[in-house]
Amino acid sequence: MPLTIIKRDEPWKWGALVIFLGALLFCLAVSAALLAGQGKDALHGLYVLWLGSFGNLWALEGALLKAIPLFLCSLGVAVAFRMQIWNIGAEGQFALGAIGATWMSLLFPDLPRLILLPLMFMMAFLLGGIWAFIPAFLKLKLRVNEIISTLMLNYIAILLLDFLVFGVWKDPASFGFPMTPEFTQGAIIPTIGDSRVHWGLLFCLIVGVGLWAFMRFTRLGFELQASGEGARVAKYAKIRYGMLVMFVMFLSGGLAGWAGCVETSAILNRLQPSLMVGYGYTAIVVAWLARLEPLNIAFASFLLAALRVGVENMQLELQIPAAFGVIMEGIILLTVLAGQFFLLYKLERKHSS
Amino acid sequence: MSELMFVRPVSVRSLPEGTQPVVSLKGVTKRFGKVLANESITMDVYPGRIKALLGENGAGKSTMMSMLAGRYCPDEGHIEVDGKPVRFTSSKDAIAAGIGMVYQHFMLVDCMTVAENVLLGQEGTFFINPREMKKRVGELAEAYGLDIDPAARISDLSMGERQLVEILKLLYRESRILIFDEPTAVLTPEETNKLFEALWRMTEQGKSIIFISHKLEEVIALADEIAILRRGRLEGELDPSAITSKSELASRMVGKEVILEVNRKTVEISEPVLEIRHLTGLGLTDINFRVRKGEIVAVVGVAGNGQKALVEAVTGLCKPPANTVFIMQQPWRKFFAESTWNRSMCYIPEDRLGLATLRNQNMVDNLLLTTRKGFSNGPWLNKKRAEKDTLKLIKKFDIRPGKIHALAWQLSGGNLQKAVLARELYREPRFIVAEQPTQGLDVSATEEVWNRLLDARDISGILLVTGDLNEALQLADYIAVMYRGRILGMLPTSEEATSGKIGPLMAGVTD
Repeated sequence: MPLTIIKRDEPWKWGALVIFLGALLFCLAVSAALLAGQGKDALHGLYVLWLGSFGNLWALEGALLKAIPLFLCSLGVAVAFRMQIWNIGAEGQFALGAIGATWMSLLFPDLPRLILLPLMFMMAFLLGGIWAFIPAFLKLKLRVNEIISTLMLNYIAILLLDFLVFGVWKDPASFGFPMTPEFTQGAIIPTIGDSRVHWGLLFCLIVGVGLWAFMRFTRLGFELQASGEGARVAKYAKIRYGMLVMFVMFLSGGLAGWAGCVETSAILNRLQPSLMVGYGYTAIVVAWLARLEPLNIAFASFLLAALRVGVENMQLELQIPAAFGVIMEGIILLTVLAGQFFLLYKLERKHSS
Repeated sequence: MSELMFVRPVSVRSLPEGTQPVVSLKGVTKRFGKVLANESITMDVYPGRIKALLGENGAGKSTMMSMLAGRYCPDEGHIEVDGKPVRFTSSKDAIAAGIGMVYQHFMLVDCMTVAENVLLGQEGTFFINPREMKKRVGELAEAYGLDIDPAARISDLSMGERQLVEILKLLYRESRILIFDEPTAVLTPEETNKLFEALWRMTEQGKSIIFISHKLEEVIALADEIAILRRGRLEGELDPSAITSKSELASRMVGKEVILEVNRKTVEISEPVLEIRHLTGLGLTDINFRVRKGEIVAVVGVAGNGQKALVEAVTGLCKPPANTVFIMQQPWRKFFAESTWNRSMCYIPEDRLGLATLRNQNMVDNLLLTTRKGFSNGPWLNKKRAEKDTLKLIKKFDIRPGKIHALAWQLSGGNLQKAVLARELYREPRFIVAEQPTQGLDVSATEEVWNRLLDARDISGILLVTGDLNEALQLADYIAVMYRGRILGMLPTSEEATSGKIGPLMAGVTD
């Protein structure tokens, strides 16, 4: 029987969840097919993926650790997206945040932790924010498309980071490897108890709740969301659109900067090029999957982080190319985006006369 | 009243005995979810006749026509063409059966010529000869007495001429039934008359016309038969010659007696709230007038003669030259720098969904859009209080559905306009700019909006920009007629002669 597409009268209540789970299933099915195509046992492969992501405490801790920078970057991206400002530059703002934090730690290595860490966070927010502020300024003054400028600035940021670690900040004792000296204890975020997870997790919780409250209960947060309907509506409502664009980009970049700070301080304990693993890009996927809601972002970042960890496990056990994880991420995003069609429309059997 | 110069050639055309209907709807029902849009409608359309379809917003006119045009399939019942049942699965099927529709928004390629637009998608062969194309379209236009140059570019044409191109497109596809969705909304009175003459000529050559309209006087002047839709049901079909008054027709349309003429009591007029002095620029030339508290000044004119620029300059969307616009006795720049959220200016724009409201947000957020400063407490927003006030406004203005969680896009046009009006009046404005406040609204909603605006004169002055002359005559104290960026006349509605002067001024005739 032929099907027709019909517009829904009301949005589908549980649609978002159903679509997300559907996308996940579809992605797993495609992955299994890809594994089979490589001559591997597909079911075993998926089992290895499961084990690597959620199978044991070690895996869960790994996922949580990766979820922290993803969450912060993603919050930043989502704030800008809420206002329909397309900040694709979380990767670069993340790098600048790491640079800012490293700068402070190298400048004041002997300060006590309670002073040094806040200093690092401040500088990370500032530099990340400024990096995102540049495209906002260009957009407003010269009408430069922010998608292009934020993306371009990513490359500049990574080159800047390379310049620093290959040059002025290089550790003389590193046998020529591009990395800064290891941070002093005061510059390192400590772990929680005996686990591998660090206190950055609590920081994420505070930032997430803070941002949620900001969007929901403050006038500025309301104006920000209202501006998402376009500059003309903002002007109609006497909202200062230009100011808001600059503010939101600064905030967005600052949050990504914090992610960079947390990652350098807690995980690597120094600045080195291997810091840049694409959290800033995955954050865009996470933000869209979560439909820009802070709580959903927490879940989505954990899920995608777990996926990353799981795929790493698969790589080791089954000798699978590293690109496999990227493929899975891409499939999930595309399926979810395509599936969002069903939030507004539904398929119905055509009535035969 | 907008005066129609069109006089029908024969006052009543009787239907010859034994004429077979060209299209019939037989017990057609259409549902959208729980909403019954059309309920067992049976209607015949005869060749060579004009059938007017009258009904309020949401009465089911568009649904019915969309089924005829092949965009929807009826849930029950069927459509017959020439007495044979048909099933349209797409608009292509409908066109093949000879049914064509002219939509409110024209679907033309602006940078192409008339002939090219008519033949677009109909070329038949890969190579086409421009001269041949022009000739064929020219002959077609002549055959139906449509006065249009096939070589003209669409972008150079007026709205009325563009409409003729849409008609030509249908004629070229040999449509026998032409459906017009509110065709006169964009036309000047003169263009309306020309359209009516063209419609009449087409019926003489055997075409059937279905004419959807809100404007009662047009329907009475033009139609051979009037079908009235009410809440998805066919309320009845009338012979226009049997209609004694417009209010009778209106009452049949809405089911209760509606007075289309509102009572305008006089209000004390005091200080000016808007003064425009020698405003030139933004496409405007030497505009001078003022609006005082307690009065309504209407700006009328054919769309695109500078009304938009005037509104944008006054409401702050565009910046006028210095010392030309004074609002509440302050220069423009100072007013916008210092204006407060309430007891100030408010703007009810034409574009309700795209400008006045947040389409994906609920009623509370939409109330907050312009009143948020009234609900602020430092950086915080008191949403509890906003919810309470939203609920109050929904009750007071009877905005449906009466839920605060309804999103703007889910509201019908009339309810959305009521919501905007409720919000803007909540701000206790001293000066209101209302742009096409009743466009697309049904009679009862229009009446309500009119009364609200008249009541608002107690505290404010109103600048009313409208395309509906009746609205201007009913509400305003003065009517300013705009033509090519100028105000050609400022006419007091208290004078009898005013209504007759507007039409020529709109066309630029000042003699």
